[in-house]
Amino acid sequence: MPPRIRAPALQPPNTTYTPSTRFQCPYHPSSQARPFSNSTPHASRLRRRMFAWLQGPGRAFKEPLPGSTNYLGAYDRSGALIRGRGLERRAQGQREEGKHASDGAEDEAVGVDALTEEKERLEREAKEKREGELPPETLEDLRPFPLNREFRSQAVLSEELREAIWERVVKRGSVRGVSAALGVAMERVAAVVRLKEVERNKPLALPYARAVLAMLPQTPLDTRIKPRPHESINDLPVHQATTTQLFHPVSESRHFTRVDAGLVFDSRLPLLPADARIPHPELVAQAGMTRTEVLEAQKALDEKEKEERRLREEKRKKREAKNKVVQGRRWDFVFQEVSVESVGEDGRSAKGVGWRYGFPHEDRKRGQVKIPRRVEA
Amino acid sequence: MRRKVPHGLKRPKVRQTWNKYNLYNISRMQTPTAYDKTFFQQKWKAKALTRAYHGEQIKEKHWERMFRRSIPAVVPMDHEYLAKHDGSELAAGRGSGLDEAEKGRSPAKTPYMQMTFHPTERRLDTAIFRALFASSARQARQFVTHGFVKVNGKKMRYPGYMLNPGDMFQVDPERVMWATGARKDQDKYETSGEYMTTPEENEPVDEVAEEDEDADTAATADAESTPTADATEATERTPEELRKNLTALMEQAKTYLKDPKDLSPKQKIELRSFRTNLKRAISRNKATESEADDYESQLAALTAQVEELTKEQAKLLKEALQRAHENPYDPSKPYLTPWAPRPYMSAFAFIPRYLEVSHNICSAVYLRHPVARPGLAEVPTPFHKETNQLAHAWYLRRR
Repeated sequence: MPPRIRAPALQPPNTTYTPSTRFQCPYHPSSQARPFSNSTPHASRLRRRMFAWLQGPGRAFKEPLPGSTNYLGAYDRSGALIRGRGLERRAQGQREEGKHASDGAEDEAVGVDALTEEKERLEREAKEKREGELPPETLEDLRPFPLNREFRSQAVLSEELREAIWERVVKRGSVRGVSAALGVAMERVAAVVRLKEVERNKPLALPYARAVLAMLPQTPLDTRIKPRPHESINDLPVHQATTTQLFHPVSESRHFTRVDAGLVFDSRLPLLPADARIPHPELVAQAGMTRTEVLEAQKALDEKEKEERRLREEKRKKREAKNKVVQGRRWDFVFQEVSVESVGEDGRSAKGVGWRYGFPHEDRKRGQVKIPRRVEA
Repeated sequence: MRRKVPHGLKRPKVRQTWNKYNLYNISRMQTPTAYDKTFFQQKWKAKALTRAYHGEQIKEKHWERMFRRSIPAVVPMDHEYLAKHDGSELAAGRGSGLDEAEKGRSPAKTPYMQMTFHPTERRLDTAIFRALFASSARQARQFVTHGFVKVNGKKMRYPGYMLNPGDMFQVDPERVMWATGARKDQDKYETSGEYMTTPEENEPVDEVAEEDEDADTAATADAESTPTADATEATERTPEELRKNLTALMEQAKTYLKDPKDLSPKQKIELRSFRTNLKRAISRNKATESEADDYESQLAALTAQVEELTKEQAKLLKEALQRAHENPYDPSKPYLTPWAPRPYMSAFAFIPRYLEVSHNICSAVYLRHPVARPGLAEVPTPFHKETNQLAHAWYLRRR
């Protein structure tokens, strides 16, 4: 058998790889590789389209937009910023106007004193700056996913507001009061304080933090007495029992209140009315008070909160004092008193400690979670 | 965990990444047509699309166990309204409130179906991705398994750990900077400036540099001729430190040159030649102590000249220097320095409200579970509500 003739070594396809072509469409159909074919493979057509998009309408997303968010929802199909449409035209008109103004200023400069001239110049510059800036984002501009109209990027706390929250909580000692005063949810206030405490003794990743915050919508610090809230602080959770329809006939003359409605769901264990289930029920009570009364009530609440915290802390300490602690080299060993009686009469109580003969393990059952479920802080 | 085609263009799937392919796929997403499919096919398709985004690393059986048909929602209440009314106004008339002509718009509907995948948002890896600490959910997962993540101060190696309200998670800032920063080798292709990896190759050889070389060597000779004075100093720096110092100086010079309006032509020329000299010193990699001091004093002199101009400009320069100090050039890092965000990051940068993030220390607190509220669902999902509804219908037991 004659040796198999290998296919004539084609000239290698064009492999020159210059930096300038790196981020453009890398596929260039080489006439040498496919001499008789005019068509291009399907996949490469898709790739070419993608790179055309990335260099056309998608170009705006490569770098963050200075002083603004930069989401897909803010641009039209051609890649133009929807809220910046008027800007270019205005900028052109302004340039001409500015030229005229400067001409006039030069003429008058001889007679007019320097102070007013300076003032005018500053005003003009401020105006130019205002007109050159992008208008603030609308809700439409904050949509990162064009198909999902029910999601938008919501504002985060600005650095100043976080600082203010931390200062106030440290000074006043009340999370609840600060939350109500600044319009930030209580969990968030507590989290800010916790994070700030950690921030004080750690190296900061400042360039990263600055860059990310510049890409996000932010709630600035509002120093007015009634600041604009960051979020809704009185969210009423939808109770599972209320998600189905329930018909309850009552007479038209009856004064049927929220409390009565709660009784309809269960007469023995009624649902609490909304004013008891919201996170800030004290605000409902304070609605009709004068300002001084509100301050007094708030002070009393703060005191109560502090007292409760103190009692909790005491209780915890008492509980921990019961355990015997042996200091180890790396770990502390904590011994807790247990009783054999805790397994109950039939020996199957969940409170029982240790492995018991005849009591099957459940860890091979379907759906058992075998990774940690909580980490103690 | 199965490997899948991450970013196909033929049958595109949207994923939890900041990849540019993914951005392109999101930009041309369409809701699949229903007229040519049976109801089962519609649900199948919707399930396939949504699962590719929401926890594609989770096994299907596992997700089926996580799925809950009840969806958490809240209604924001106005405390002043609650104080004014006792609820009887809603039951007035024939049981649904009095007909009033001036009744406002009906409140926005609560998008329950957009919350179909809310249990996946509780996972540690997803939360890390949502807090903008990783550029994809898979990368976040890798950070966890590789031990760069702590929950409440203790190392947590399970990406499927379900966060509880109040849990604080921390990711190693170096990892975060690497994940979210621009790639180091990109500078070769980008026109971002005269950043150099191998100085000898990238260095532009121009006449100014050639001329200055003589002066430079003279300076080195001077420095080497007086080693005794420096050697006696207790605070002698190692070569690495010196190099670091020089690169910091380089950054300062660069920041000055970035804003050329503030400088006179003469100052610009001086600064440029200073920068060229410095570049050479860094590339030789054996700058001496006195040389470094010399460069420092040179720059100080140049700065002083600049600062004479105005107070405002001096302030600006100081800020620029501060920034350069915080974000220095450091070739030992695995990412591009000075740090810059990776391309296409801004289109994906949002933080859902159930997290409170401190980017300064790359830590975040999981405040509560995500909820739906009128007109707004907190689970970030790129799909239309119909697609999510079909997926929800798929996971109900009876289909």
